[in-house]
Amino acid sequence: MSEMQAVTGVVNLSAGDPALAGEIRELGGAELLECIQCAKCAAACPMVLAGFSFFNKKVIHAILLGLREELLDDSSIWACQSCNRCTEVCPREVNPFEVVQAMRRVAIREFALPTLSVEGLKSLYDTGHAVYLAGAGNTRAKVGLPEKPPSTVASKKALQELQTIIRNSALADLGIIPMGETGVSETCEV
Amino acid sequence: MPRIGVYICHCGENIAGAVNVEEVRKYAEQLPEVAIARDYLFMCSDPGQELIKQDIRAGLVDRVVVAACTPRTHEPIFREAVAEAGLNKYLFEMANIRDQDSWAHWHDKEGATAKAKKLVASAVAKAAFLEPLEDRFVEVTPAALVVGGGVAGMFAALDLAGMGYQVYLVEKNPSIGGNMAKLDKTFPTNDCSACILTPVMVRVGTHPKIKLLTYSEVESVEGSFGNFKVKVRRKQTYIDWDKCTGCGDCVNACPARIPNEFNEGMDNRRAVYIEFPQAVPKKAVVDLEHCLNCGKRTIGTAPRIHSKTGKPILAPCERACKTGACDRSKAYDPEGEIIELAVGTIIVTTGYRVMDKAPFKEYSPQSPNVVTAMQLERILSATGPTAGHFERPSDKEKPKTIAFVSCVGSRDKRHHTYCSKVCCMYMLKEARLIKEKYPETDIYIFFIDVRTAGKDFEEYYNYCRNLGIKMLRGRVGGVDELPGDRLRVRAYDVDLGAPVELEADLVVLATAIEPAPGLAELGRKLGITCGSEGFLKEMHTKLYPVETPVRGVYIAGCAQGPKDIPEAVSQARAASSAAAVPLTFGKIVVEPLISEVNQRKCSGCGTCEKLCPYSAIKLVEDKGRLRSHIDEALCAGCGVCAAACPSGAITLHGFTNAQISAQIKALAS
Repeated sequence: MSEMQAVTGVVNLSAGDPALAGEIRELGGAELLECIQCAKCAAACPMVLAGFSFFNKKVIHAILLGLREELLDDSSIWACQSCNRCTEVCPREVNPFEVVQAMRRVAIREFALPTLSVEGLKSLYDTGHAVYLAGAGNTRAKVGLPEKPPSTVASKKALQELQTIIRNSALADLGIIPMGETGVSETCEV
Repeated sequence: MPRIGVYICHCGENIAGAVNVEEVRKYAEQLPEVAIARDYLFMCSDPGQELIKQDIRAGLVDRVVVAACTPRTHEPIFREAVAEAGLNKYLFEMANIRDQDSWAHWHDKEGATAKAKKLVASAVAKAAFLEPLEDRFVEVTPAALVVGGGVAGMFAALDLAGMGYQVYLVEKNPSIGGNMAKLDKTFPTNDCSACILTPVMVRVGTHPKIKLLTYSEVESVEGSFGNFKVKVRRKQTYIDWDKCTGCGDCVNACPARIPNEFNEGMDNRRAVYIEFPQAVPKKAVVDLEHCLNCGKRTIGTAPRIHSKTGKPILAPCERACKTGACDRSKAYDPEGEIIELAVGTIIVTTGYRVMDKAPFKEYSPQSPNVVTAMQLERILSATGPTAGHFERPSDKEKPKTIAFVSCVGSRDKRHHTYCSKVCCMYMLKEARLIKEKYPETDIYIFFIDVRTAGKDFEEYYNYCRNLGIKMLRGRVGGVDELPGDRLRVRAYDVDLGAPVELEADLVVLATAIEPAPGLAELGRKLGITCGSEGFLKEMHTKLYPVETPVRGVYIAGCAQGPKDIPEAVSQARAASSAAAVPLTFGKIVVEPLISEVNQRKCSGCGTCEKLCPYSAIKLVEDKGRLRSHIDEALCAGCGVCAAACPSGAITLHGFTNAQISAQIKALAS
C-alpha cells in the first residue's frame, strides 16, 4: 500500500490548541505526557503495517502539539483495531490505545466520525449488537442452536434496558444515534 | 655473559590474534645469550609477572625482555616486577609487538609474526648491553598552582589547602567564580547557583593557605615536576587594592558605558568596575581601554589646578573614592607586575566559554529577541540585567511563546563536531524554571537527540515533559524576523513527518561550549597539548583522566572537555588528590635516563649547550679549558646532545651508542 500523507503543507504550530492535551487526559489518555516518542508502540501497531498516516505514537505527538484540526481531518484513528498491543509493549505505561480512544471521543464531540459508525450505533440501539448478522438464524438452526442468540435479540426486556442506557449516554446527547422503531436492520449485515 | 629471559605476551587475542606466538617464542629461544623464552596469556597479570620473578630468583636470567604492549603504560609494571625479584630494574627492555605490530598488521599474520621476531631480536640485542642504573630523587616544593578560579579550580584549591599545602590560585578575571557565577539555577536539583557558589568563593578568598592572584595570567612555566618555576603576570588594576574597600562609589561616578561581559552584553558596565556584586575579591579595576579620561587627563598625570580655588580638579572616580584607592595621578606600570612562584604541582582548570550567536546567520542573530542560553540565564538571574524579571530584550514584555534551539554550533562540522553535553539539560532547566513560574508560557524545545545521561537527569527530563514543555525532534532550519518583534521558527518535525512553523516571542540558542580563549597557548607553556577540538588532552581517557603527559601537571573541568558542574567538581577533586600525592611524598623519583659528559673526550665546542631545549647544559671552565656540564635536575633525557656531540663525549643512559647500534643491527639483519 502506498504511504498516506498525514498532513500536507507546513504545519503552523502557533495555531495549535493548547487545551487538546488536557482534554485527552480527561477523556481517558491520562498518561499522555509520559510519552517520549520512542516508537515502540508503532512497531507493534497493525495500522502502521496497513499504511495509515496517524497511528498511536504520531497521534500522541500531534495531540501534545495541539494539532486538533490535522487530527480531525484524518480518519486514521477509526482504523485502530483495538488489539491493545501498543499498551502491552509501551515501556512508559502511556496506554497508547487509551489515547487513541480518547481522541475518538474528541472527534465524536466534533461530529468528525465515519458514516459507518452511525450504522453501527443504529444497530447497537436496535439489536444490542454493533454488528448483527440478521441472516444467521438459519445457520444457527441447522447446527441445533436457537435461532436467536440468548442476548438482547431474544430478550425484549434486556433490549429495552440497554436502550435506556444508550438514551442516557453522551453519544445520545450528541444526537448521533438513530433511534427509530425499525427493528433489526438489514444494512449492518456482514 | 648475560643470561636474557624473553617473555612473550598474548595480550588475550590482541597479539596472539595476528602473531604466531609459539613461532616467535621458538625463534627467541635460539637467539644468542637468551637463556629462556616463555609465553603467557597476560604477562602483566600476577601469574605472568610471577613467571619472570621465579626465573630471576632461580638465577636463570639476569636480563629481562618482555614482548608485549606499550611501554607507556606497562614498562613501570614490569620494571617493578624485575626489581621485586632482586634485579636492577633498568636491566629490563620492552618490545612493543602489539601497537607497533599485531594491531598494525592484523590482516597479515605471516608478516606480523616476522616483524615480531625482528622486534624481539632487536630488544634482545639491546638487553645484552643494558647496564644497572640508580634512580635519583628530587625534593618537591610543597606548594601547588591552580590556573582558573571557576568552580573546578576553587574546589581543587580548597582541597589542597585543606591538606595544608600552600596554593596559588590564578584567575584572569578580576573575580573568582567563573561561569557558574552567571547561572541562575543548576540542574538536576535546581539549587540557586549563587547560594551554593558564593560561600565557596568566600572560603577560597579567606583561606590562609590560598593566595589569590586574580586579574592575573600565567606568563611562563619553567623547571619540571616537583619544582616548577612559574611567572604570573598580575595585570594592572589602576586601583590600589590595598586601599579599595569595594564600596562601588567610583563605579557609580564613572560616566563611561561599556557592554557588560558578566551580563553577556545585555546591559552596560562602567570603565571602572567591580565584576559583579558578589565578586571575590570585591575590588574595582579600571578598564583603561574604555576610560574616557575625564577632563582630558590621562592616567599618571597630575590634576589641573582650579584657577580660582587653587584646588586640584579631580576625575569623578577619584572624587568619589573615600580611601584614596583611586588616584589617577599615580604613574602605574601598564605591564603590571610579574610574580614568581615555586610550586611542586600544577592543576589547570581554565573552564570554557559559550559561543556567541553572531555566526548563526540563519537564526537572525541581529534580533535582540534571539538570545543565547547564557543570556537567558542572566535574564532569569536575580543578579542579571533585569534583576530577575522575566522579560525579553526588545520591549521588556514577558514572552508568551519561547522556542529553544539545540545543538547550535555543536555536532556541526563548520563549528564544533563534539556534543557540548550540557545543553539538553540546561535547556530543560531554563524551560522548567520559566514554566514553573509562568505556567501559561508556551515552550517548544527543538532537539536532535535528547541527551540526559546522568544521575537524576532522565527524571528531570520526564518532569519537564509532564509540565507540558513541548519537545520536537528536528534541527531548526531558520528563524525569521516578523513585524511586531515576532520571530518565525522553521523546522521539520521528524515525528510528525511534516515541516512546521512557529511564531515565537523569544528564541533561545543553545550555543556550543568551547575552550576558554588562550587555552592552546597556556598548554604550550606547560608542554601539554590540545586535542582536535581544542580542549586539553588527558594522559589516558579511562585510567589517567586528570593526568597529562607532563608529570606534575593535571587538568580538570571544562578545560578537558565539556561537562556539567557535578562532573567538573568530581574531576577537580580527583585532580587535587592526584596533585597532592607528590607533595605528600615530599620527593619524586627521576629516572636515571639522562645524559652524561665524558670530561676527557669533551672538546668544549658548545654545540650541545646551544641545542639543549631544557637549558640543562652549561660550558664550565675546568683547569683552564671549557667543558660541557649537564645539570641532572634539568636534563629530560631527550638525547639531542648525545646525537649532536662531534666528539662522541656524551652518553644518554638507557640509550647508549652500543645499545642503539646493536638494536639497529638486529633489525637490519
